[in-house]
Amino acid sequence: MSPELEKCPRSLLVCEKSNFMNEKSRHDIHVSKHSFNYKISVLIPECAVLPANISGVISNFSPYYLVRDLPVYELLQDKSHETVVQKGTVYAVSYNTKIDEDNSIALLPSGQLVLSLNKDAYEQLGLEGRPSLYNHRKAMRYVVTLNLRDKTLAPGTKRYQRVLSGLKDRLPLRYDFLFTEHNTDEDKTLYKLLSQYKPVEHKAVLSHHTLKNLPCPTLYPSDLQGTTLSCDPHSFLEWLGAVNLDISCENAADSFLSTYICPEPKSSVSQALLCTITGFISPEDVYLLLQELRKYFDEPKFTQWLSLTVHGFMDSPVSWGATEHGFLKGGENFYNLVCFKNQDYWLHMATGAHDGCPP
Amino acid sequence: MEEPTTFERHVYKNASVYHYMKISLDLENGKRSFSNAQFKQLIISALKELYGEVGAAFPFDLLKFDPSSLTAILRVYNKGLVKLWSALTLLGSYQNEACAFRVIQVSPFLLALSGNSRELQFGESSTS
Repeated sequence: MSPELEKCPRSLLVCEKSNFMNEKSRHDIHVSKHSFNYKISVLIPECAVLPANISGVISNFSPYYLVRDLPVYELLQDKSHETVVQKGTVYAVSYNTKIDEDNSIALLPSGQLVLSLNKDAYEQLGLEGRPSLYNHRKAMRYVVTLNLRDKTLAPGTKRYQRVLSGLKDRLPLRYDFLFTEHNTDEDKTLYKLLSQYKPVEHKAVLSHHTLKNLPCPTLYPSDLQGTTLSCDPHSFLEWLGAVNLDISCENAADSFLSTYICPEPKSSVSQALLCTITGFISPEDVYLLLQELRKYFDEPKFTQWLSLTVHGFMDSPVSWGATEHGFLKGGENFYNLVCFKNQDYWLHMATGAHDGCPP
Repeated sequence: MEEPTTFERHVYKNASVYHYMKISLDLENGKRSFSNAQFKQLIISALKELYGEVGAAFPFDLLKFDPSSLTAILRVYNKGLVKLWSALTLLGSYQNEACAFRVIQVSPFLLALSGNSRELQFGESSTS
């Protein structure tokens, strides 16, 4: 058989181990740089009921807004510029745009407006950009990054006028957008800004249920690679996927249907809480949730660890920071934190083929 | 007293042994009842049709099957991904009825199949 048939797309998994109390720990940076979060999944073994402090944090997550058919140039207009760019707390991503087919746009709180455009759109727009890092033989996709905080792009400058006229006249892009902002004050500036575009407010949807009699891998904080005491990272993430998707982990080795089993070493837990939050969630909210989850071990608990998984948007033009993200056979960019009783943690960051290496 | 943990960082490239596929079956004349064994047998017959007995002789797991929506999650070794995917794509009929497999998501990480942002839908009404 041709060896070409046995090839498959590249994937990357970065695994880090450290302790939350360690001052050099970069868990806060990794969480804050992953700007566009679609779904959070929390698994707490030996737990039946969602703790009140955790459900409290989740119910206080900032709302997000869906704005239909927003012209992209509106993100640059004076009023937006002041709120969005100067304040530096707004996240926006185009909704229902597939990055492997259409154009996809994102706004980062750093003031960077990232436009991932197909060849025709890029040529029509006429702005300076660079070919995508993930083009195959011919350049079919380009990325234009505009730093709205740059002085040369301040309202009134020549370059600003050029960009504005490009987005207004040459290539009038209009998309549905999702906006969110981590708001500590009750100001609701984002909502006020968007009010003229008829935004629809949404809250992240929480759902949770208790799993019974679950085979569960035993994890030791010191053995990240799974050489002696724990299972290897891929097997652990596979098991987490199986739990999230309600896949049976107890199959016979000679079963016709499935031979999947929980990785060794394992034990059986009588109950476990699986909680998912879906929407457009800011990294700040994720961090607050992480802080509360760490506090779970302030009181004695049966379990040695709990897990937090955060999935990114498949069609976002960036994954961590401003690293370009694309969609080949999949657009996965997620990370998983295993928090241990002693405040050690494991951080797994996974990306697919059209992605840079996670930080 | 436990020793403070040392920092470690490892980068794994293409280290996942399996790929996972989320698929669904569309039948021309609407839904039919399938058992999970029948569903798996259908996929095996698609493989044999395209690659023959020897070519189709690699294992894959039907991790999950939902008979009401005819969606399933498969696990296959990386070497078999292209063959499995192509066989699913090219299957055109089941018991003389036109059908098509839709590949909803493919990933080297099973966990990624539980977080597909393309599923994020909004109704026409206002605040949820």
